[in-house]
Amino acid sequence: MTSSPDLIHELRASRPAAPTALRARIREISARETAPAPWARFRFPVRRAALIAVPAAAALAFASAGVLGLARSDGPTEAFRDEQALVDKATAEAAPSTGYGAAAQGSAIGPTTGRAQRVSATLTVEVPNSDAVSRAAQDALDLTRSLGGHVVSASVATGDEGSATLTVRVPVAKVQEAIVRLSALGRIVSQQVTIDDLQESLDALERRAASVRNQIARIAARLESESLDAETRAVLENRLKTLRTELRELRRGISATNAEARMSTIQLTVVTPGAFGAVAPPARLDRTIDEALNVLVWEAVIALALLIVVAPFALVALAAWLGRRLYRRREEERLLAT
Amino acid sequence: MHAVTLDAPRSVDTATPSFAAVAEELLDDVYGYLLYLTKNWALAEDLTSETFETAFRKWRRFDPRRGTPRAWLLAIARTTALDWFRADARRRRREERAEAAESPRDSDGGFGEGLSLALEESLRALTAGEREVVALRVVLDLDGEETARLLGITPTAVSTRLSRALAKLEERMRDHDVVA
Repeated sequence: MTSSPDLIHELRASRPAAPTALRARIREISARETAPAPWARFRFPVRRAALIAVPAAAALAFASAGVLGLARSDGPTEAFRDEQALVDKATAEAAPSTGYGAAAQGSAIGPTTGRAQRVSATLTVEVPNSDAVSRAAQDALDLTRSLGGHVVSASVATGDEGSATLTVRVPVAKVQEAIVRLSALGRIVSQQVTIDDLQESLDALERRAASVRNQIARIAARLESESLDAETRAVLENRLKTLRTELRELRRGISATNAEARMSTIQLTVVTPGAFGAVAPPARLDRTIDEALNVLVWEAVIALALLIVVAPFALVALAAWLGRRLYRRREEERLLAT
Repeated sequence: MHAVTLDAPRSVDTATPSFAAVAEELLDDVYGYLLYLTKNWALAEDLTSETFETAFRKWRRFDPRRGTPRAWLLAIARTTALDWFRADARRRRREERAEAAESPRDSDGGFGEGLSLALEESLRALTAGEREVVALRVVLDLDGEETARLLGITPTAVSTRLSRALAKLEERMRDHDVVA
């Protein structure tokens, strides 16, 4: 009976030894050994290279994004440029001049001379900061008074986003000058001038007043010259009283319309950047980060595109390699099974 | 299953010796492995020469940090033997079609000095794969991990294959004892 330990012992004890002739042949092969070239032992360390290449590529991507971001942060960001363009376009539609302190020369629409008109204007100007809001509000009040106008209402708020809202009335004859000079208090964000013609209604009032005066005169003459019965006299006197009341109302209306046509109303709003949709230019650091992120996004897009292109080929190659490996393994098993 | 107790694996020397020294030291191992695999001493000699020729050409690329010279040489020997088996299988298929099949693998020859006739015959009855694992784990005393790497299978598969081979050997030996 033979057990495994005995078998193992026998197998090891009878370990095959190479024949002398074979040993001599191998020695001949070994004797051909030559000095290796200096680069002969060099093997490209694929794994080590990958360990270095991957972080190096990531670092390069971040560094290039940072450098490009820094270089491109001198100007406004792309998003800010787009946003600013929209604001500028809107401002340009409202007024031809957009710079701080620039006057809207000739842009204000003026009333027609010789006609009674109601002129109202709404202005929004932007000043650099909250302190400038207070100064602009004070300048507006001074300007109003210097033009012979008066303040209807004023509201000034200070703080991070200071603003002021003023409603002033200035003589119509000075309204163009007022608009131009108020616009010069800051950068025009919006401007609206509305003119309503009052001449027709004023003419109608005056025509009606003239008619009433004629009627009053005729009734007064009749009452003085004719001998009237008591009832007729009472009717005419009553009618005269009504007409005189109407005439007073008409005179008040004419007076009010003339007053409306003499003074224009201007509503001025003073804002700081960030308020009223005004776009503040971002800080340099923010712009740098924005630009760097843009570059990184583009790098990621390119990397993804390359991956999408290369991935199918890599998968096919991997499948072919695995298939070949499996085939060879099966073939080896078959060969060694005999 | 059989309890197989084998010696601890040899220590790994990471210094690169000369090819001549390696060839001198490991010639018996390579030859023994190929003899067990092919069970033909003449073929084993040819394949051994071919293995060392290939190893000599590739010696500059040998990296001791990635394995022992013995594992490296045995891997080349295995590839050389499998290439021969493939070529032989193709040749036999061609000859079978021509009805003249004859294989040099059937040639006679011993596995080593001092082996009993019963064990010789029992070894011959094993498949090449079974003889291969016996040669590597028992005769050459490679550890399970090294053998697994060489054969491209798991250490567990190596252990299973070795147990099966030894069981077959025992059975054959028992049958031989009964007949004797």
